[in-house]
Amino acid sequence: MSGAGGSTGSRRPDADTPPWLRPAPSGPTFADFADGEHARLARVGLRLYPHERPDRLVLALPDGAEQVWPLEELRLVPGQADPEAFVLTSMSDPLARLYLGKGPLAARISAHAPALHAGAAPPPPRRRLLKWGGAALASVALIIFVLVPVMADQLARFLPPEGERALGDATFEQIRKVLDQSGIGPVRICETGKGREALDAMLARLAPEVDDLPYPVRLSVLDHDLINAFTLPGGRIILFRGLIEAADSPDEVAAVLAHEIGHAVYRDPTRDALRTAGSIGVLGLLLGDFAGGTVVLFLANSLINAQYSQAAETRADEYAHILLKEAGVSPAALGRMFVRLRDEYGDASGFVAHFASHPTLAERIAASEAAAEGVTGTEPVLGARQWQALSGICSPLPPNLAPVPGKLLGSDMK
Amino acid sequence: MGTLADLEISCTGKRGALFALALKTGGLSVLTAGLYRFWMKTRLRRYLWSSIRIGGVPLEYTGNPWEKLLGFLFAVVVLAFYIGVVNLLLMFFSFSLFQTNAIAYALSFIGVLPLLFFARYRARRYVLARTRWRGIRFGLEPGAWGYAWRAALHWLATILTLGLLWPRKAFYLEKYLTDRTFFGDARLRQGGSWTMLLGAMLHLYIGVYGSAAVIGLAVWLNRPQWLLWLLLTLPWALFGLAYWRAHSFRLLTSHKQIGTESEAAALSSSARGRKILGIYLGGYLLTVLVVLAGIFAFFFVIGFVIGGMLNMDGLLKALNVANGETGSPSPGAADKLRVATIVLYGVLTYFASFLLWNAARTSFVTLPMIRHFAESTRLTGPLALNRIRQRARDEFAEAEGFADALDVGAAL
Repeated sequence: MSGAGGSTGSRRPDADTPPWLRPAPSGPTFADFADGEHARLARVGLRLYPHERPDRLVLALPDGAEQVWPLEELRLVPGQADPEAFVLTSMSDPLARLYLGKGPLAARISAHAPALHAGAAPPPPRRRLLKWGGAALASVALIIFVLVPVMADQLARFLPPEGERALGDATFEQIRKVLDQSGIGPVRICETGKGREALDAMLARLAPEVDDLPYPVRLSVLDHDLINAFTLPGGRIILFRGLIEAADSPDEVAAVLAHEIGHAVYRDPTRDALRTAGSIGVLGLLLGDFAGGTVVLFLANSLINAQYSQAAETRADEYAHILLKEAGVSPAALGRMFVRLRDEYGDASGFVAHFASHPTLAERIAASEAAAEGVTGTEPVLGARQWQALSGICSPLPPNLAPVPGKLLGSDMK
Repeated sequence: MGTLADLEISCTGKRGALFALALKTGGLSVLTAGLYRFWMKTRLRRYLWSSIRIGGVPLEYTGNPWEKLLGFLFAVVVLAFYIGVVNLLLMFFSFSLFQTNAIAYALSFIGVLPLLFFARYRARRYVLARTRWRGIRFGLEPGAWGYAWRAALHWLATILTLGLLWPRKAFYLEKYLTDRTFFGDARLRQGGSWTMLLGAMLHLYIGVYGSAAVIGLAVWLNRPQWLLWLLLTLPWALFGLAYWRAHSFRLLTSHKQIGTESEAAALSSSARGRKILGIYLGGYLLTVLVVLAGIFAFFFVIGFVIGGMLNMDGLLKALNVANGETGSPSPGAADKLRVATIVLYGVLTYFASFLLWNAARTSFVTLPMIRHFAESTRLTGPLALNRIRQRARDEFAEAEGFADALDVGAAL
């Protein structure tokens, strides 16, 4: 039987080079052959018949037997690290390996074997790919759109108020970081003295006491262009500077605020945050770790552009109507805000996109007008001066006039 | 003409070629939102496996990217439920009981640990089933859950003893794996005992416990100047790590056997700690240099292009003129374009350095490490191998899906 592999015990200079990588001498060519059944190598003599029919490579085994490999069935084993390696197999005998090495015979085989690089791998299993791809999509969809929402709705009822507040605070910081575009730090909270007072006055007029909430409403304005407002768990409501700038009157800001208080009362943000917590890991699973950062982006985005159900929006609207009426502000302001933003800014901004694409926007505008019917003796929620102050809440102040950061309305409302 | 001579193991991989391959396939993975990673892994493994030659015959990796994709989809079906529901419940309890999400993250990690061990075993089973040498398949017996609970208990014991039982964990987990590993129809055996690894841990014990003692004493007795001792103990710990890798490999490998008691092939290794330390230091230095050079080049090439674009007003004006419009663009539009460009630049730089880091580490750390372990190992009594026959193909449709989805052993 032939030697196993390269070393023959002696210490010749080429002892480390296996026989199949040494330059082939002229005359008959030999190579190491693994038959795919035994773990031993056989030294075989090779003869190439490229012009006879059938064209073939004949392997002369040590025991005198011969193996015939038709040239069209020869395949190179791909991806060899060693540029000198030339490892062959045959479609008729796919487990067998012939360790030949580059040389005159390898060059002649390359010239005459037609499908050397065709690859021996089976074609992609289309049906199973479709089946499992479909199953993966279905299972992810089932979990994200059915199981997690149902569980989140149930769990949100049992989350204690302190837990809700902690959840809201954690997400608030994350959102401020994500929204930042300057790379300097989290987006600034606007606290300019008179503006803050105007904001507090608006909230006090609107909801002197919110009995429906186990915690005070905490209201902040973020220095950002977005025309949007959103609510986080634990009664944290955030208005963007862009929204205040886009509003025509303080009543419109108050209407949006009342709507957001409605979401807080019905705990919509808590449900949404729990839903996101369940979905986020599943999405991370799909994308793999190289997209780790995008998951956080998605989290923040889904909270800002929270897509509450139609029922939740209607509920929050109805709550806002009552709140506005009780405060002596016309509920029609809510509808006006929707209409104006849609007309003025088109569908581009997130806020408008959300409301404008809603099929029942017309109904909601009508509902706010209906709620306003018969309401008399309404007064603007803020005076002209206060409205001016609120509009400038994000303008910088000289340091001696700067308010103490972190002073939120909620603490005044206890 | 049989031979009793030992088989040498060599490594023919080239760092430059591997770097190019890793960079190219990594780039395609990023461009395809991670989908190409199954092809990337296949091609990198083919390269690395074929670079290892035992007795002149290269290893062969026969894994197929499609089966990896299928395995991943299968893992998603199973894991999506676990991860979605468990994450939600943990988040709920963490916030309602502790008002923080740190607990949820910790619990979530602990909860997923047994699954990680499970996934690691299954991934190894897949990789061995797709590895051949002399045309003969390797294989690993089923036994992932047995591995998972053993690994969990060994880790627990290791943590409770502050790392003292690390060698015991290393030995028994390696023994569990080796004793279930086959080459063809022959089973491998892991001999030796866990106490033989204690010596390999010596320098790591000294370095780590020494550093802990220095910090503890300096804080306790309020002698900050004692912290200077860390200049001795921390490098010692680093050397200890390299020494442990070399000598635990050497001892474990030299106690592996295959075949019958009377006629067995065995491995013997002479891996060296100082060599491993050199590969760590040199390899990571080179990796960092490559990443820095890459970022630098990227900064200049792309930076100039974007730098030109930062003059957005000019650009927008040019566009307006080209469109036959007149007048200045609104300042808002220029601002938005500027911000978008900077964000794009940041994202591109992030992916470029991520790619360079992975490619450089694979070729400057992983490959030299494989080379050293290969070249310091030899196979004795190779005649015993000649009796070994082929084993049946392990279809194993799940491939390494779990490990891939959970990011364990998802590297090579």
